[in-house]
Amino acid sequence: MKTKTYGWLGRVLALTTAFALLLGFGLAQNTTILGVELPADAVPYDEQVLRVPCDNTRNENTFDFPVGVYTRFDCIEELFQDTLVDLDKDFNVIPASAESWSVAEDGRTWTFKLHEGLVWSDGTPLTAYDYEATFQLTASPEMAWDFAWFYSFIGEGGIENWGEIIAGELPVEELGVRAIDDLTLEVVTKGVFPPLPGVMNFAHVMQKKALEEHGPFYNNDPATSVSSGPYVLVEFDPGNRIVVEANPMYRGYRPPNLKRIEGIYMSPATYFAAFQNGEIDRVPYERLTPADFAIIESDPVLSANYLRHFGDFRTDYLLFDTFNPPFDDLNVRKAFAMAVDRESIVANVFGGEIKAMPAHSMLMPGYPSSDTEGALAGFQRFDCDAARQHLADAGYPGGDGFPAQEMWLRAEAPAMAAVYQASAASIAQCLDIDIQVSNKDNKVYMDALNAKPTQLELGAVSYGMDFLDPANLLGIWVSTGRHSWQNDEFDRIVAEASNLVGNPVLRDQMFRDAERILVDDVGGVFIAHRWQGDLWQPYVLGDTLREPDATGISGKHWSVDELWSDLYIRADQ
Amino acid sequence: MTRYILERFASLILVLFAVSIIVFTLMHSVPGGPFDESKGRLPPAAKENILRKYGLDKPVWQQYLNYMSHALRFDFGIPYQQPQTTVAKLIGKTWAVTVQVGLMTILVAFSLGIFAGMYAAYHQNSWIDNVVTFTATLGVTVPNFVVAMWFILFFAVARQWLPMGGWSSSGQCLIGNYLCTDWILPVIAYALAPMAIVARYTRASIVDVKRADYVRTARAKGVSERVVMRRHVFRNAQIPMVTALGTEIPNLITGSIFIESIFRINGLGKFFVTSTLNRDYPMIMATFLLVALLWGITYMLTDIAYTWIDPRVRLGSKGEG
Repeated sequence: MKTKTYGWLGRVLALTTAFALLLGFGLAQNTTILGVELPADAVPYDEQVLRVPCDNTRNENTFDFPVGVYTRFDCIEELFQDTLVDLDKDFNVIPASAESWSVAEDGRTWTFKLHEGLVWSDGTPLTAYDYEATFQLTASPEMAWDFAWFYSFIGEGGIENWGEIIAGELPVEELGVRAIDDLTLEVVTKGVFPPLPGVMNFAHVMQKKALEEHGPFYNNDPATSVSSGPYVLVEFDPGNRIVVEANPMYRGYRPPNLKRIEGIYMSPATYFAAFQNGEIDRVPYERLTPADFAIIESDPVLSANYLRHFGDFRTDYLLFDTFNPPFDDLNVRKAFAMAVDRESIVANVFGGEIKAMPAHSMLMPGYPSSDTEGALAGFQRFDCDAARQHLADAGYPGGDGFPAQEMWLRAEAPAMAAVYQASAASIAQCLDIDIQVSNKDNKVYMDALNAKPTQLELGAVSYGMDFLDPANLLGIWVSTGRHSWQNDEFDRIVAEASNLVGNPVLRDQMFRDAERILVDDVGGVFIAHRWQGDLWQPYVLGDTLREPDATGISGKHWSVDELWSDLYIRADQ
Repeated sequence: MTRYILERFASLILVLFAVSIIVFTLMHSVPGGPFDESKGRLPPAAKENILRKYGLDKPVWQQYLNYMSHALRFDFGIPYQQPQTTVAKLIGKTWAVTVQVGLMTILVAFSLGIFAGMYAAYHQNSWIDNVVTFTATLGVTVPNFVVAMWFILFFAVARQWLPMGGWSSSGQCLIGNYLCTDWILPVIAYALAPMAIVARYTRASIVDVKRADYVRTARAKGVSERVVMRRHVFRNAQIPMVTALGTEIPNLITGSIFIESIFRINGLGKFFVTSTLNRDYPMIMATFLLVALLWGITYMLTDIAYTWIDPRVRLGSKGEG
């Protein structure tokens, strides 16, 4: 009897102890809704909330890239789906929704294999048919997608029949993107295009069923929104607030640490004040004024949490009409290239190395095939004496007889207009010539630039990459592009390198050779590469954000969507 | 009076048609369009698709007739900026907030402005008058977005006395979602300039009337100063005040992009600017027609107010001379 009693009591005691231990263990564990354990210094999961500012002066109408690229709610984006591929912090293409990809012998037919088990937040399996429907949506003439230019712009990388379909000459079913089965997507390009996997970082997905039932804006209403990404929409009051929460059905490659992200609409003019007030956790660099930067640089905590990054590898440069005098003379172009005091402009007009670095070529160091060694720096260095000599050699000694120039800007905001004005002033002062700066309407500028023959004799502009391959940023300089500069050797090398498969070392060297021609023949005068960045609250952590890349740069890198997985809020906030 | 009001409404409709033609012509005569490419050259087919989608591939006169035939049925089209909604819904949603802000601002600006103007006029050339005049000049000359940023930096960031933005989102309200702490900064920042104008007009009108012969006569007859001021000065000073101040009302209830964006108010104000910048034709037309309508109604109400203030005024009667 006694033994029995002890046995019964013992079992109850053991069960109670086990339950208590389990409960205690569970309480001690700080895990996400997907069962991922948070770092030891994280606040409890319920408090894992990131607050980001949303620009209340922007015109936005969609969360989805396939609906409108330039009208997305840009404070909360890329969270309701995973693209086919992602980039790691060193800009290597890594699997995302696709676990693998391969190209057929024709070099044009790419096959992407999706991960098994991916589902939408409503429980529907995510399949290749969703990707097919999304591509067809973007190509449909009725959709009139604002990014439709892209798949024409990338030439050989353009998707088969893209142009004919957006023109309404072929049905969308003829598009070169086809679901072979639930997990296999085939993408056929017009020609051989090695960087295609990286371009598939733009391959977002929308749910075929939701598109059919609710149309392309289904994600604008929490009631109809479905997500295959790490977050789901729970509250949407455009102009006031957006709230997304971790998607409990998420099975993808970037399970989120954060429980919730809140987008708070405010004027960009008040971002920094709101940040100082502790109302938001991040301010992007373009919303920080020179006065804000002065405060940041003088404050050790703020400056330690301003994380510079490459952004879209944007370069500011001057362009010419090299088909007509005076810029058809290489000496004139070299004179201009050597008359720009880049170091002074970066230090005094940009506001220092926190915002830009002097540029001597098109590709910002860090971009594939860029001149990280500085081998091209000599071609377009600041050397006023050499510049004067080049101008004299062109027949304009001391600037005598050089026609007065008007440098056009493309609807630049005051800060960037000042950079270009300083460049014009540097040239005018060094060469003793007359340059007026005129800030034009975007339409007027682009019409003049794109006209054949060009109507833009001298202009200033910036360009950031569209995809991470030198074929992009050097491709815009080929003679069929927007610039009125032609070098047959450059054209040949870029064309060959762009389509070269199987020899990445040779391809890299070819692009380097091409860039050398560009700077030596002065297709453009390169002024500065812009550093971009974000100011973060010190309690927002995450390896993808805080750890430096291979070149020592930390921060939120362009299109590295994995960032949203490991961000978390530290406990000592 | 009824006939007069009906006539004014009829003329208002003509004005709205005239405004619609002028605005439509102007916005289509400006170089560029709503779907000009900002980065690369759109494939011609893609551009044609976009233009066809929004009916912009048709001749301008046909676009105008299409627009007006729909507008007469209160269908103002789809805003290019937010194609998932309609212009009417967008204006309905955002203008409701803007009207709240505007009415609060009118209340504050007019009550404080009239009081300050009267007080300054009554104490003409005293230090109080100088302070009111100086403050009024400052209120008119300093832009409201500068005042707004000062307020935010001082009251919200430095002192943390008041929320730095929102509209009824602070959760600290007197009645339901009304009269909240987050109303204080935007209303005062928005009210400063009109308050200054009101104060200046009030002061000038009263000072002017104070010197009138009939006021001097009333005083000579031994009427008390209080009665002189109430019956003769304030009453007669109201006509120039109504004329000048009535025009402030449409401005205030159609919103300010600066006040609304800086204080996180999701109102209509920004659309007056963004619609123009983005060549959002349906929104441009709708906002201009709204403003024209409000101005027309305001002028009509101002005229009616004259008859109430001064019984000698007869609306709609032909002159004798």
